[in-house]
Amino acid sequence: MGPTGLIAGRYLLGLKRRTHVAAVSAISFVAMALGAGALTLTLALLEGFQSTIRAELRESGVHARLRPRMGGALPPGPWLAQLRQRHPELEVRVVTATTVWAVSEHGAVPAALELDEAVTGVEINRVLAARLVLGVGSRLTVASPRTNLTPLGPVPVRRTFTVAEVRSSRPTEERAVIRTSPAMGAALVGGGAVQSVELRARDSHRAWEVASSVQGDVPEGVEVVSFQALNRPLLAALQLERAMIGLGVALVIVVAALNLLCNLALLAAEKRADVAILSALGLEPRAIFRLFLALGLGIGALGGVVGTGIGGALATLFDRTRLLPLPRGVFLLSHVPFRVTTGAVAVVIAISVAAALFASLAPARAAARRDVLEGLRYE
Amino acid sequence: MSEVVRAVGLVKGYGEGARRVEVLQGLDLVVARGEMLAVVGPSGVGKSTLLHLLGLLDRPEAGELHLFGRSVGSLSVRERARWRNEKIGFVFQFHALLPEFTLEENVAMPRLIAGESQQQALAAARQLLASLGLSERCRHFPDELSGGEQQRGAVARALVGGPELLLADEPTGNLDAAAAEALFELLREIHLSRGLSSVIVTHNEALAGRCDRVLRLGRAA
Repeated sequence: MGPTGLIAGRYLLGLKRRTHVAAVSAISFVAMALGAGALTLTLALLEGFQSTIRAELRESGVHARLRPRMGGALPPGPWLAQLRQRHPELEVRVVTATTVWAVSEHGAVPAALELDEAVTGVEINRVLAARLVLGVGSRLTVASPRTNLTPLGPVPVRRTFTVAEVRSSRPTEERAVIRTSPAMGAALVGGGAVQSVELRARDSHRAWEVASSVQGDVPEGVEVVSFQALNRPLLAALQLERAMIGLGVALVIVVAALNLLCNLALLAAEKRADVAILSALGLEPRAIFRLFLALGLGIGALGGVVGTGIGGALATLFDRTRLLPLPRGVFLLSHVPFRVTTGAVAVVIAISVAAALFASLAPARAAARRDVLEGLRYE
Repeated sequence: MSEVVRAVGLVKGYGEGARRVEVLQGLDLVVARGEMLAVVGPSGVGKSTLLHLLGLLDRPEAGELHLFGRSVGSLSVRERARWRNEKIGFVFQFHALLPEFTLEENVAMPRLIAGESQQQALAAARQLLASLGLSERCRHFPDELSGGEQQRGAVARALVGGPELLLADEPTGNLDAAAAEALFELLREIHLSRGLSSVIVTHNEALAGRCDRVLRLGRAA
């Protein structure tokens, strides 16, 4: 160990000799550790929520949608049958949708009516169930924009159904939805209905590849909307959320770095006599610069690494023990999820080291440039 | 080469304008190899300033300074630091030992700065401290030593790198008469046994009289 490391180590660890220097260093260390720990924990929380949401999207959402480029219905022909044949790894559902009024004794709300050949009864999503206070077995009247001409004038086509199932809403679904079979809903859907095909990979991890795998198998006039495009607003919002919250919490590290800067400046002023003596003994200015840089990095970077470790460990503990439960029925999740990723750990450590380095530069430069004689007179 | 120090017309002052104080005004000085020179004079005449110039801690405003046969004006910051480490030993009035380090670590510091391993530097420091009767105090911190022990430690630190020129700034100024006498004798012994060239600033005329030569600095008229 050269003199720089020896001196830096003694200044940092010499608790018995100079309590206040070590105490000031300890405060900076703890501040950096707290900042890094808070950032690690926050990033783990965001990643936990977001990875859960992404997984939920993959598990319950549509992986790609085929829709007519110009609106209306999809072009006829054998292409859909061929698509099913060529891609046995995909679930293919033809959906016809229109907007209707859903009416119950508690009121009326607009809802999307989807005709799905895979559905046998009438199912509604939780959004509609909550708005009209409906459950399995409830009676639901659906009024179509289509009308029948009667002696009293045009009257909307109406059908009353018994709700067979209330299913969970998809993560991005905020509208009320009614699903039924084409046979049951045909009378309600008029010429203005939009037809589309929903594709899902049986292996949900392949959700991102579905659109590109079918791109060459659809006729002209059919647009393939990818998983990413379908969920772009949500994915972009998640990314933005992570960036902004991460940036906000990273300010804690910046504040800790400013504290480190002040403490190093104080240390450099207090040790001016020592620095002058060392200089008189032949220590070069650049070695003095390195000494204070080592002090700053020793306090800041080590604090950052320790804080990251503690934050990561806490996040893992919270996740594994499900320490923070969420109210059932309100959230999709049973507990607050945390997920520590290598990338997040690397980012936090990099920010800590960069902040410590930045905070050390000015005090180190000042100490290296200080007049030796002034320091000796101070002594 | 018989001259260790040759200074011609050294000028040094502090402050500017009306507050300017001229400390050294065209000082000429030669210190021969093996010579022990005492510098005496009242406070403020530039004794310490002269020592700082000779120790490469400061630069003259005018004049020529040659150390070990070479002009120091052309030395880089790095070379000056290396010369301070290898060729010059300092003893300050107040021991100037680093408080966070033990006596042996303090003494080993110049060798550590020179790039020697900690083990070797500490071994050399212990050996030197033993020769100065401080082997029992190696692991003590400066504030656990007496004033005389602190100054002997400072002398050991000045000598550990094997300098050619020893500069001492009132080394006995902070000691009682007995301790001052003992320290001066130690400096003399070391000076003779190691063949050093020494410049000792002191207020003590009696001690100065026992040096090879006395340089008296006075106030400029």
